[in-house]
Amino acid sequence: MNQLKGMNFLRNLKMGQRIQLFVFLTVVATYTMSGIVLSYLSVSRAKSTSEKQMSVYVDNLEGMIDLQESITKNGLDQADFSALKNHFYKAAFHKTDFPFILSNNGKYLLHITKEDQRIPKDLFIQISNNPDKRGYLTIESAKGTEVIYYKYLSNYDIYLGISTPDSEVIESVAQNRSVMILVVIIAISLFFVIVSLIIKPITRTIQQVNSSIKKMALGLEGDRLERIQNDELGQIIGSLNTLTEGLSRTSHFAKELGNKHLNAEFSPLSTDDILGNSLLAMRDSLKVAEQEEKRRKQEDETRSWITSGLAMFGDILRQNNNNLSHLADSVTQNLVNYLNANQGGLFIYNNEDTSNPHLELVSAFAYNRKKFFEKTIALNEGLIGTCAVEKNTIYLKEIPSGYIAITSGLGEATPTSLLIVPLKLEDTIFGVIEIASFTEFNQHEIEFVEKIGESIASTLYSVKNAIRTNQLLEQSQQQREEMAAQEEEMRQNMEEMQATQEEMARKTIEMEGISKAIDQALIYCELDEEANIFLPNDNLAVAMGYPKHELDGLNLSELVHISNKKEIAAIRNEIAQGSPYKGTLRMLTRDGIDLYLHINVSPTFDDMGGIYKIILIGQDITESKLLEIKAQKQADEIEANLAELQAEQEIARMKENDIKGLLQALDTTCLITEIELSGKITYINNKNVETLGDPKDKIEGKYHRDLDGLAKKSPKDYEAFWNSLLSGISQNRVFSLTVNGLEKWISEHYTPVTDDNGNVTKVINIGFDITDSKEKEKEMQRLISEIAQLKKDNNK
Amino acid sequence: MNVTDQDLQYFISALKNYTKYDFSDYSDKSLKRRVEKVLADRNLDVAGLITSVKNSQDFAETIVKEITVNTTELFRDPQTWHLLRSRILPRFKNNKNINIWHAGCSTGQEVYSMMILLHEMELFDKAKIFATDLNSDVLEAAKKGQYKYRFNIGYLDNFDKVIKQNPLNYEEFNDVPYEKYFEIDKAKDTITMKKFLTEKPIFRKHDLVKDGNLFFAKFDLILCRNVIIYFNYNLQNKVFELFHSNLYPKGCLLLGMHETILGPWATKFEKIGQAYVKK
Repeated sequence: MNQLKGMNFLRNLKMGQRIQLFVFLTVVATYTMSGIVLSYLSVSRAKSTSEKQMSVYVDNLEGMIDLQESITKNGLDQADFSALKNHFYKAAFHKTDFPFILSNNGKYLLHITKEDQRIPKDLFIQISNNPDKRGYLTIESAKGTEVIYYKYLSNYDIYLGISTPDSEVIESVAQNRSVMILVVIIAISLFFVIVSLIIKPITRTIQQVNSSIKKMALGLEGDRLERIQNDELGQIIGSLNTLTEGLSRTSHFAKELGNKHLNAEFSPLSTDDILGNSLLAMRDSLKVAEQEEKRRKQEDETRSWITSGLAMFGDILRQNNNNLSHLADSVTQNLVNYLNANQGGLFIYNNEDTSNPHLELVSAFAYNRKKFFEKTIALNEGLIGTCAVEKNTIYLKEIPSGYIAITSGLGEATPTSLLIVPLKLEDTIFGVIEIASFTEFNQHEIEFVEKIGESIASTLYSVKNAIRTNQLLEQSQQQREEMAAQEEEMRQNMEEMQATQEEMARKTIEMEGISKAIDQALIYCELDEEANIFLPNDNLAVAMGYPKHELDGLNLSELVHISNKKEIAAIRNEIAQGSPYKGTLRMLTRDGIDLYLHINVSPTFDDMGGIYKIILIGQDITESKLLEIKAQKQADEIEANLAELQAEQEIARMKENDIKGLLQALDTTCLITEIELSGKITYINNKNVETLGDPKDKIEGKYHRDLDGLAKKSPKDYEAFWNSLLSGISQNRVFSLTVNGLEKWISEHYTPVTDDNGNVTKVINIGFDITDSKEKEKEMQRLISEIAQLKKDNNK
Repeated sequence: MNVTDQDLQYFISALKNYTKYDFSDYSDKSLKRRVEKVLADRNLDVAGLITSVKNSQDFAETIVKEITVNTTELFRDPQTWHLLRSRILPRFKNNKNINIWHAGCSTGQEVYSMMILLHEMELFDKAKIFATDLNSDVLEAAKKGQYKYRFNIGYLDNFDKVIKQNPLNYEEFNDVPYEKYFEIDKAKDTITMKKFLTEKPIFRKHDLVKDGNLFFAKFDLILCRNVIIYFNYNLQNKVFELFHSNLYPKGCLLLGMHETILGPWATKFEKIGQAYVKK
C-alpha cells in the first residue's frame, strides 16, 4: 500500500515538481557522493601526505641526529638526546605528532611523554621484523588510530619514528569538509533556484499546452498559445497553434459543411492533411449528392406538380360537368394560374352546323381577369385552326407581333411564349386550349397540358352529352309547361269567350224584351239620313192610319203637318251632325187628323264613329197635346193663366227633353217594372220610384198582385188581366193612386216578353205618368167651370 | 266533375265566410265552369274543396287565383286602341294630368300597351297610371313586365296595327322599333318591358266587389275590359256606379269589345264608339 501510495504520489506530481524533486535528489546525491569521495580522497591524500611528511620529517631528524653525533662523536648518549630534545619535544606538523626514538629493545629513548617506556611488544616485533627497516604501522591507541612511521638507524641501532594520530591528520580535511558542505548546500540552493527559474516557465507552458491539448482531447477548440521560446517547446507551441488553427479551420469547414455551405473556402493544412482532404472529399461527394438531391427533388417536384395538377384538374372537371361555360372558365383560369402563365383561352369545337364547323372561344382569362369577348375561328384558320386540324401541339417561343389581342391596361409586359394544345380524345378534336406566358414552357409543362387536354376533351365529350340530354329534358319539360300554360290560357280564353257569349246572350234577350216592349208600347221606326222611314212598327201605322207597307220608304216630312215641315230639316241637320233629336211633331194622319208625337231620333254609331242606324221612337201624346193646346187656347183667353200655361209647356218640354234615345227615353220617362211570371216584381226603375214614391226595396221582390189596386178591388178582373198577359197578350190600363197626398195618374202598358220559342219569360210594364194631362184636364174643367161661373157672374 | 247550383252556392258561401272574397254576384255559369276546372285539375270534389278552403287561407287564395280569368294581350282588340288613339285620348290633351285606372289589369299587357300609346302620343309624362287586380300573382307578373315571347309573338302584330299604322290613313306608317319599349330575347323567350315603363304604374291588389276606389284620385279614363262578363247584372251595375262616381266629368270608361252598359247606368254615360263618357 505504502509503495502504491508512493507510486501514486509520484504519479500525481506535476511535471515541474517531479523535475524539481528529481533534480534536487540527484544534485544532493551527486554532491554527497562527490563530497564523500572528495573527503575520502582528501583523507587518503592527507594520510599519504602525512606519511610522506612523516618520512621526510624522520629523514630530517636522522640528519639532525647525524649532525648531533658528528658533533659529539661518542655515539649516542644522553647528551645527544638532550640536545636533540628540542626537536623531539615539538610536534612535527600537527598537535601531537611527536617523533620518538626507540632503542633496539623497544624502549623509548626519546619521546616527549613516553621516555623510558616501552613500546608494545607486538608492535616492536612488527617493527623489528620488518626487513625494510622502515615502514608504517597503524595502531589503535587511546588517541584513536595512529600511524607510525619508523626507520631503523643502523648507525645508532635505534629506531627513529613518528606517530601521527589520524584524527589530527584528518582534522584539516574535516575543516575543509564543513566548508565543502556549506558550499554544497549553497550550490544546491543556487542550483535549485536556477532550476526552478528555468523550469517554471517551461512547466507553465507545458501546463498551457496540456490544458490546450486536454481541451482538444475533449473536442473543444484549443487555446492559441504565445510562443516565447524558440526551443522545442516553442516548436511544440508553434505546432500546437498550427494544429489548433488547423483544427479550428477544419472544424469551421466541417461546420459549414454541416450547414450545407458546400462552397465554403477551405485549403487543407498540408497536402497530406488527412482530415482536411477527407473533408474536402466529403464536401465533393456532398456536392454531388446535393446536386443529385436537387435533381431528384426537381424531378419529385415536377412529378408532384404533375400529379397534383392532374388531381386538381380531375376535381375541376368532375365538379363542373354540368355547365360548359363554368367548366371552361374554371379550367382556363386554373390552368393559367397553375402554369404561372399570363393568359389563356379555351376554344370548343362546334360542329352542330355541319356546313360550318368552327371553334368557339368559350372562356378567356388574361392578367387574372375573365375576359368577355366572342370569337369564332374556322378550321385551318390561324394557329388555333391549324392546331385543331393537325391535332398537334404548337409551341412558339416567340409570339408573332399583334397576335396577342389582350394587353395589360397597366402597361405590363405582353407574353412571349405561346402554347396551343388540341383537346382531343382518341383522335377526335373537341377544342383547343391556348396559353401565353412570359416565360418559356418546360417540356413537362407542355406534356402536362397535353395530358390535361385529353381529360378536358373527355369531360367536354361527356358534358356536351349531358348538356344535350339536359337541354332535351329541359326542352321537353319546358314544352310541357308551356303546353300547360297554353292550355290554361286557351281555357281562359274559351272561358272569356263563353262568358262574353253568355253576357251577350243575356243582353240580347234583354234587348229583345226591351225592343218588344218598345215595339208594343211606343211608336218605332228607323230613318235614313234623309229622314225616310224604314221598318215602321204597328203602333206608328195604327197611329198614322196607314198600312205598314205604305209607310215604308215614306219621308217623315210627308207625314208632318205643314207647320212642322221645318222641324224635319232640323232633324236632318242633327242627324248629319250625329246628334240626337228630341221634340214634338205635329203629324197628320191619313185621315187628316192631327196627331202629336213626342219623338226621339237617335243616331247610333259603329265603332269608327260612322252612323250605323237612326232610330225614331215616339209616343202619341195627342191626347195630352190636344189638351195642352186646348188649355193653351183657354190660357190665351185667360191672360191670368198664361204664365202658368207657359210654365207647363216648359215642363212638357223638359219632359220631352227627358226622353232621349231609345233606352234613355224609356228609363227616364217611363215607369218600368219587370215582373216574373210568378208575379214577383224583380225590377223597377228610378222613374218608378220617383213617380210613385216607393223605394226600390219596398217594391222589388214583392208580388204584383199584392200591390195592385185592381187585384184588391176585383180579383177576378185581375186574374183575367194576368192570365191574358201570361198567354202573351199585352194589356193597357190607366189607374190612379195617391202619392204623398197627390193624386197620380198612370197609364200602364203590360207587355209579356217571350223567348225564342215564344214562351213568356217575364212581363215588362211600361207606364206613363199622365197625371199632368189629367190634371190639366181637371184644371181645364175647373177653369171652364170658373169661366162659366165668371160668365154667370158677369151675366148676373 | 259536375258542379250543381247547390254546390256552387256552398262554395261561394264558404269563400264568403272564410275569406275576404265574395263571389256571390259573379256570373254563376262562368263561375261554375271555373270551379269544375279547378276540381278536375286538383282531382277534388266540392266537399273536399270547401273543406280545404275553410282550412287554409293560402289554399283559398290559390283557388281564387285559379278561378279568376286573366286573359289579356298587348294591344288587344286593335280597334279599341284606335278609338283610344283617335278619339278618346286626344280629349285629354290639354289636361294637366291624365289619371288612368286599369281595373282588372291582369298580367299588365294592357297597362304597358296604354303607356306605349301614351308615349307615342306624347302624353306619357302627364299620365298617372293605376292598375289593380284581384290576383296578386298576375300583379307580380305585371310589375315585372316580362312576357313569354312565343306566347305573345302574334300580339306584336297588334303593336304594328296600333302604333305603326293608322287605320284612318293607310299611307301613314310610323316605324317605331319594338326596342323603344321592350327587349325581345328570342333565346330566353322573353319580351321585357323597359324600365321607364315598369316603374311608372302603381299596382295594387283590389277587389271590385268591395274595395271601392283605392286611390285618392278621380280618373279621366277607366279601363275595365272583359271583367264584367264574369259578373251578374247586379254586380255590373254596382261596378258601373263605382266607376261613374270616380270618373271626372267627361271622363271615359272603356269596357271590353262585347261589354255594354245596359240598365240604369246607361243614361249616365254618352257613348263614343265603344267608350262611355260620363255625362
